[in-house]
Amino acid sequence: MFPASWSRLCCRTLSSRGRRTLSLFSSSGPSNWSKVVSDAEKIVGYPTSFMSLRCLLSDELSNVAMHVRKLVGTQHPLLSTARGFVYDNRNNLQMRGVIVLLMSKAAGPSHAASDLLAQDMVSGIYPSQRNLAEITELIHTAFLVHRGIVDLKEWTVSDGPLKDMQFGNKMAVLSGDFLLANACTGLAQLNNTKVVELISSAIGDLVQGIYYENSNNTEENGLTDGVDVATWEEQTFLSHGALLAKSCQAAMELAKHDKESQRLAYKYGKHLSLGHKLNSDLQPFVKSSVGEPVSFSLSAAPVVFHRQIVGQERWHQQLQQAKTQRNQLDYSKLLAAVKSEKGMSSAVDLCCYHGNKALEAIQAFPSSDARSALENIASTITKF
Amino acid sequence: MAGPWWRQCRRWTTNSSAASLFETLCRFSSRSASLSSSTPGRPSWSSVAGKAVQTSSCAQFNPKNVIFTSLLMRYKSQFLYPTLQSCCCRTIHSDAKPKDPFTLAQKDLTSLYDDIKKELFVSKEELKSLCDYYFDGKGKAIRPMIVVLMARALNIHSNRAGDLIPGQRSIAMISEMIHTASLVHDDVIDGSDKRRGKKTINDVWGERKAILAGDFILSAASMALARIGNNTVVKVLSQVIEDLVRGEFMQLGSKENENERFKHYLEKTFKKTASLIANSCKAVSILVNSDPEVHEIAYQYGRNVGIAFQLVDDVLDFTSGANHLGKPSAADLKLGLATGPVLFACQQFPELHAMIMRRFSSDGDVDRAWQYVLQSDGVQQTNYLAQRYCEEAIRQVSMLRPSPERDALIKLTELVLTRDK
Repeated sequence: MFPASWSRLCCRTLSSRGRRTLSLFSSSGPSNWSKVVSDAEKIVGYPTSFMSLRCLLSDELSNVAMHVRKLVGTQHPLLSTARGFVYDNRNNLQMRGVIVLLMSKAAGPSHAASDLLAQDMVSGIYPSQRNLAEITELIHTAFLVHRGIVDLKEWTVSDGPLKDMQFGNKMAVLSGDFLLANACTGLAQLNNTKVVELISSAIGDLVQGIYYENSNNTEENGLTDGVDVATWEEQTFLSHGALLAKSCQAAMELAKHDKESQRLAYKYGKHLSLGHKLNSDLQPFVKSSVGEPVSFSLSAAPVVFHRQIVGQERWHQQLQQAKTQRNQLDYSKLLAAVKSEKGMSSAVDLCCYHGNKALEAIQAFPSSDARSALENIASTITKF
Repeated sequence: MAGPWWRQCRRWTTNSSAASLFETLCRFSSRSASLSSSTPGRPSWSSVAGKAVQTSSCAQFNPKNVIFTSLLMRYKSQFLYPTLQSCCCRTIHSDAKPKDPFTLAQKDLTSLYDDIKKELFVSKEELKSLCDYYFDGKGKAIRPMIVVLMARALNIHSNRAGDLIPGQRSIAMISEMIHTASLVHDDVIDGSDKRRGKKTINDVWGERKAILAGDFILSAASMALARIGNNTVVKVLSQVIEDLVRGEFMQLGSKENENERFKHYLEKTFKKTASLIANSCKAVSILVNSDPEVHEIAYQYGRNVGIAFQLVDDVLDFTSGANHLGKPSAADLKLGLATGPVLFACQQFPELHAMIMRRFSSDGDVDRAWQYVLQSDGVQQTNYLAQRYCEEAIRQVSMLRPSPERDALIKLTELVLTRDK
């Protein structure tokens, strides 16, 4: 019922407006990425479990889906987030879950715990690890929804009626909270307080990361000092890496694998996420051909590198030069400026560094089809 | 004031929907009644006291004349709740006046807000100040207070010293954190700009940041919860988080049928307010006692006090002047919510039905509904219902061994009913 109402809603809106995606893993283009992920899904069995179904089919979310229809034709970001649930390449949407499952499978059965039985495993994965993968997805989705809250005081009448935005916010808060609450009860059912603590801390990291992201984005308008590369990495880890890194570690803890396996799983999740973010930040720079309209965030990795390399003063000059008469930014001009210096190539180097670190981490696990899939995913993010 | 008691009597006998409402309530309490009757093996002091209270409270639900008598007494009296005091406290207490709950809980709550602020560890200064915003020591901290009193009462009941064990102290803190996180989100959902006499987080920093602050407080609470290291406690308090959201969802919809509507209202009230108190009380009991019946006493006390607390809150939305609660009065009506007083008033003024269904959205609805409620005895009936819940809470907690903290929990029910802010 729920997916049906989402898709109906999306069909109607998709034609009227350009496609805008909020999914974090969605902006990267390589077509082999989808293939790598869908191959990986076959290895772990389909990732959808009863928990996410229960959540999606609940009265609460059906209710939201019904209400969200009222938002059709408004500018509220909840609409495009909802659209993303259906229209985004679904391989991207459940990306984190798949990686957690692959990691679980690659690490294999537990040797330490007597209460974990090999016969409970399905496709080489414990039920608790499957539940964890779902929880990871729930949390990720909850924050996609909460990222789309609108500041009402910044809303001007010309943008559309305020009432619609209030209503959209209400729906976004409630549905995000609902997903988060389900993640909390799901976590509790895992019967492992270490995992509860770890994943809760990942939620805290995610909040901090998004908070930084917001304040950086407001700086975009004022064009004040940007962050340096080290800070960028720190913040990107919080907003894009902590959840996956800690979920991978938690998957090891659930099967009672030792501290070293936990450390390596964490490392894989961390470097993969950073590499992936770099890869998607780089897409407009590697893909664009002359004359094509481009757009990118001024806090994208290549720009952050570029700013640091050329210095604040030059950067401000370049920004001035890229301004059109109507005081808008000519992104193709800026792109050329970034490309002409080392900004882009430095970002590519860093992307490869993280991809290799992820590969390195996974080498300690015994060879298997799950490990190969993790290797494929890690190498895909270093290719452009 | 003394006038309308007879009308009330007539309505209880003639109005079938009011009667079935009471059936609902009896069903609510019958679950716990069967529990207490199935515990014959208690020490004499509690079974004697328990039986006395139990008889009186059950009687109030069954023969109608007892209800009328107590109503009559209440309406005649200047002081609102003498029956409650006389029937419960006299039989139970041997010693003098119970201590004020706030004073008694104080020693365990001195560092509450400092401890919470330590849990909210963030490097980003602005986010830190958002998270700390409501932990300024100006809140009533009523939840932590109930939790520490209950914890001490349970510790003594379990043949230990009253002193809190570390996990219980954490639960007191976590209860306030979960409560605050949900307030922050509620203010965004309701578009409120005032809370506890100050501007809301969303009003000062905007909705995006407010939601993140709420999420952060919740994650910190969840981490503190995990560090207690008890899986059952984690499950019990995670349930609260789910109840809070489900309660909020329940507020979106209203029921056409009157009885359904009242059930919906009570269930929503449980989820949004009472679940946190009930489950926090249960959590502190789990840490000190393995007997499920003790857990149930703690839970039922919290559940009944919690529902009473919210019922009184809903009354105060009509009776308290602006700024008294830190929010304008009739706030619920303005949000389209039909609370206890309105639902009761609707039995007297069926005109309210249509307004409830359209969530007071037409011009003048809020004012008209307000007038109807004040003309009806919706406020008194809601207070009366709150009193019933408090009596049940007393009956439950009286099954614990006597202690100053247990008596303070009994005394607290009185404060819940008589508070005016």
